[in-house]
Amino acid sequence: MAMRAAPRKGENFELAADLNSEYKEKRKDAIKRVIANMTVQKDVSGLFPDVLKNMQTDDLEQKKLVYLYLMNYAKTQPELVILAVNTFVKDTDDPNPLVRALAIRTMGCLRAEKIIDYLCDPLQKCLKDDNPYVRKTAALCVAKLYDLKPELVNENGFLDQLRDMIADSNPMVVANTVAALSDIHAAAVASGAPKDTFAINTEIVNKLLVALNECSEWGRVAILNALSRYTAEDAGESEHICERVVPQFQHANASVVLTAIKVIMIHMRGITSENLTKTLIRKMAPPLVTLLSNPPEVQWVALRNINLLLQKRPDILTNEMRVFFCKYNDPLYVKVEKLDIMVRLANEHNVDPLLSELKEYAQEVDVDFVRRSIKVIGQTAIKIDEAAERCVNVLLELIGTRVSYVVQEAVVVMKDVFRKYPSTYEGVIPTLCANLDELDEPEAKASLIWIIGEYAKKIDNADELLGIFVDTFTEESYPVQLQTLTAVVKLYLQKPESSQALVQKVLNTATKDCDSPDVRDRAYIYWRLLSTDPGAAKAVVLAVRPPITLPRTTVSPALLEELLGEIPLLASVYHKPAETFVGRGRISADSVQRKATDDRLATQKALQTVAAGQQAENLLDFSDDVPNEGQPSGLAATTVLASTPAAANLLAGTSSNPLDDLVSIFGGANLGASSTPASSNPMGGFGFGASPLTPAPAITPVMSPQPPAQPQAQSGQDDLLGLF
Amino acid sequence: MAIDGLIILDNTGRAIAQSGFHSFPPAYPLLHIDALNSALASSPRQIDVDPVIYVQGLKLDSPSACCHVRRGELRYLCPVSGDVDPLYAFAFLQTFVDILHEYFGHLSAETLKDNFDIVYQLLEETLDSGGHPLTTSPNALRDIVLPPTLLHKVLSVAGVSGLASTSANSHPFASPIPWRKVGVRYNNNEIFFDVVETLEAIVNKNGQPAVSTVWGRVDSNCKLSGTPDLLLTFSNAQSLVDCSLHPCVRLQRWARDKVLSFVPPDGKFKLMDYRFAPATASAISQTSVPFTLRTGITVDERGGSIDLTLSSRLTTRTMENVYVELYLGEGATGANCLASHNASWTFNPRTQTLVWELKAVVPSANYTFRGSFTSTAENPRPSRAFRIRFEIPQHNFSAMRIEQLKLTGEVYKPYKGMRGTSFGNVEWRW
Repeated sequence: MAMRAAPRKGENFELAADLNSEYKEKRKDAIKRVIANMTVQKDVSGLFPDVLKNMQTDDLEQKKLVYLYLMNYAKTQPELVILAVNTFVKDTDDPNPLVRALAIRTMGCLRAEKIIDYLCDPLQKCLKDDNPYVRKTAALCVAKLYDLKPELVNENGFLDQLRDMIADSNPMVVANTVAALSDIHAAAVASGAPKDTFAINTEIVNKLLVALNECSEWGRVAILNALSRYTAEDAGESEHICERVVPQFQHANASVVLTAIKVIMIHMRGITSENLTKTLIRKMAPPLVTLLSNPPEVQWVALRNINLLLQKRPDILTNEMRVFFCKYNDPLYVKVEKLDIMVRLANEHNVDPLLSELKEYAQEVDVDFVRRSIKVIGQTAIKIDEAAERCVNVLLELIGTRVSYVVQEAVVVMKDVFRKYPSTYEGVIPTLCANLDELDEPEAKASLIWIIGEYAKKIDNADELLGIFVDTFTEESYPVQLQTLTAVVKLYLQKPESSQALVQKVLNTATKDCDSPDVRDRAYIYWRLLSTDPGAAKAVVLAVRPPITLPRTTVSPALLEELLGEIPLLASVYHKPAETFVGRGRISADSVQRKATDDRLATQKALQTVAAGQQAENLLDFSDDVPNEGQPSGLAATTVLASTPAAANLLAGTSSNPLDDLVSIFGGANLGASSTPASSNPMGGFGFGASPLTPAPAITPVMSPQPPAQPQAQSGQDDLLGLF
Repeated sequence: MAIDGLIILDNTGRAIAQSGFHSFPPAYPLLHIDALNSALASSPRQIDVDPVIYVQGLKLDSPSACCHVRRGELRYLCPVSGDVDPLYAFAFLQTFVDILHEYFGHLSAETLKDNFDIVYQLLEETLDSGGHPLTTSPNALRDIVLPPTLLHKVLSVAGVSGLASTSANSHPFASPIPWRKVGVRYNNNEIFFDVVETLEAIVNKNGQPAVSTVWGRVDSNCKLSGTPDLLLTFSNAQSLVDCSLHPCVRLQRWARDKVLSFVPPDGKFKLMDYRFAPATASAISQTSVPFTLRTGITVDERGGSIDLTLSSRLTTRTMENVYVELYLGEGATGANCLASHNASWTFNPRTQTLVWELKAVVPSANYTFRGSFTSTAENPRPSRAFRIRFEIPQHNFSAMRIEQLKLTGEVYKPYKGMRGTSFGNVEWRW
């Protein structure tokens, strides 16, 4: 590398001389240097003819390096590559199978129009080569050719040849043929080809099942994916497939394991025998647990999928709670998933060890994790009635630590406990109120104010406490203002004699000095309500609300089915249908076509575009917000929540005019964006997202109208809305 | 369904090597490198960066994702577009890292740069330009990409490298068994099994384990001639659960009889992973942690004191290389400690971690550690748990033994060797 200091031209000049040297070693060394320069993005395209001269050689290594060079420049200098065609074609007849395979592989990825036409004859030959390595390379080459020029594949009958090759004696060839056919199929579907290019029938399935046990891990994944596309003819066939696939659970490659689980999940639908289904589910647990001994990134993917599987089959890991206990040096993304899964697995038998774990987590150093742990304590309280009291005691202990963020989060969580178990744990209210001064986060403040308003009757100094907030009303954030307003009105309705002045003051301030339309409008509503008919006001404001529940699933049942079919794809990792985050990708086109609703496609595309523009960041990187948005941190708010009807319609695909809906959704989303910019809040302006990182919006249970007939199905839909 | 390619970055975030990306715009890999680097830069702790990050494409409708892992000082990226299995990408990355290890030993930016021609050949052979992994079995790869050996270097200096490469490529992929090459000959037929078990445990304040799991791995080094068909029986196969096995193992046979029947690859390979679940009466079978740690920690304003006593529960074996680590919390500035038995301790001001290092812990002896630390934080918040790592040579938590190794298909009698090592990774709460 003494040449490095010289001007580039000089170096290339030297290299050209060496490439034409009469000494073999010198030439080879020069090629290496050319490649080295190429890989650090130096321009060595000027040496093309000189490098090309060295293509004809017995030295395989040298040949590979020259091919590497050709592949790099084929796209920019196609007219030069044509010079190499003869050597390529000659190499496909070389006695050494490695050279034959190398030549056909390189020709396939040159991607130069001109060379493609010369590819067909050698490819024809290589597909019938007697060396399996050459055959399997050729099979993959057909897929590449299809990508560039599908008509050539059809003209030469390569597709039929590939279909025949599924019966090849060598499992590697079978696996690669399947991979090639699947690629072609996906490409054909994406381009709207009418007929199925890779129709799988019983005969093929049997061949695939035979090859499955003998090929490499990558081949197994390809075969398993093909099997997941197949629709079994009857229950017997489903059973047969499941039986043959189950041993793959013990493969060392995590990808094989998860793909096998997908196949089982899909074909289990066709099994009628209750017992067999149970056995299969039982067999699913161990491989999932094994995945947790892998590096954190694999754990994460596994955990996301376990989370999804648990929503469909809550019974698979009931005895394995302990494997999900967090270590303090686990990456945050792993811990967060583990927490979510622990809640799913919680039941009255394992709640004690769970709670003592959560208490530990709540005292750790990492603020974000601590907050999530406290939330989980609340979720446990809401999920398991018997354990609620124990959970409340843990929360009280945590409040006793007087660490600011712990106290604040605990207060927020207590509010949800009250919403689930009204008038049960009133004894803790004094403790909560004692911490009033510690609260500086809007969500915590709003939560405490809600509690005070709700139990105003039983708190002697409620007017005093609320008075503090009324005095600073205009300085508070909107969620706190809204909550203060509501709480004072509640107080007034319960204790009119002592709080007349307070309610006057708050209504005055809210209608005159407040710049938020929400706050002002609501103040007017209360005001008119109170002045028109106090009895009606009482009936409306103090009405009994149904207790909240923990949603069993974070996605709608239909979406869950779809996602389970896509384990372990990105879709299932993100718990979103593919088309919401993959653009015109092949798969997405495929799945959209399956739904066959063009309307929906159009709206979704529009949604994507708008969302991408609006959220300057990205669609995919949900990072911390992911677990939160499906499960609005109001713990369980979804089920009692009035969703934007237009949004629900839109996502259910029933909308008549997509554009109108879009407008209405983004009307709401804009509102949300202004107050909580980073929040992936499903409700836009309404404050349920409450991710601990964002300045949290208020709780809204008392203020959102609750049409009792609100369709439950919407709880699932807001997952999609979470995109905004 | 396939991955888009592979990129290797050095520890400053610069690309060392990458695959072709022939069907993508030239900026595509750069976008991914950029996205990762900025994600790392904006995260307070690098390990908390999501392993799959979103990458906005050049055009609005072509987003993609970047799967990345860190191994040693290098980062490996795997861009994927479309709805792909991220585990597929991670599995491939891991496989590729293993292959690099196999070829170069210790991996560093320097090694890869020095051997860039081999790295590129490996990339070409392992990953098809369409994104399908090709040959990843080390046995088959060695046939087509020659490892950098001293002999090879000497030959190439002497100007006869052509000889070395042609001789190795006589019959590639002629083997009917994809993971094993044909015509292997050894003078001494021997096979070694290395059983490595790791105890992963969390111990609560009261000294009771909240969770304790033993994960085991059997590595093998096979030097057997011809095509040997082995039948391996373990003494306590019933308590090995959640196994994942090398592709050479006949899965049905293991499921039925709990014996490993396989034709091994040549050379080193990982035979199986397992979890050790001793068959006991109780539902939760836990392995006990082989030591006890008595902790006394007081945290005051701007500092605190630590008083630890560690004693082994083992009766005969010695625990070696025991590290007891404690993160002292943000703002910790220094520590002053005293350890018994000439054990050493260090405080790393960059990571704010205090480490007590014991070369050996013999049975029935108490090792003590006393000291204090200072911090700039008003109320220092050290982490709630100690992290303890140790190893026990010549020992297995599972007490696994090879009962029998039967060989069929060849006439010789192999020598078999087995060695066990145990590691521990325990979190001890205080």
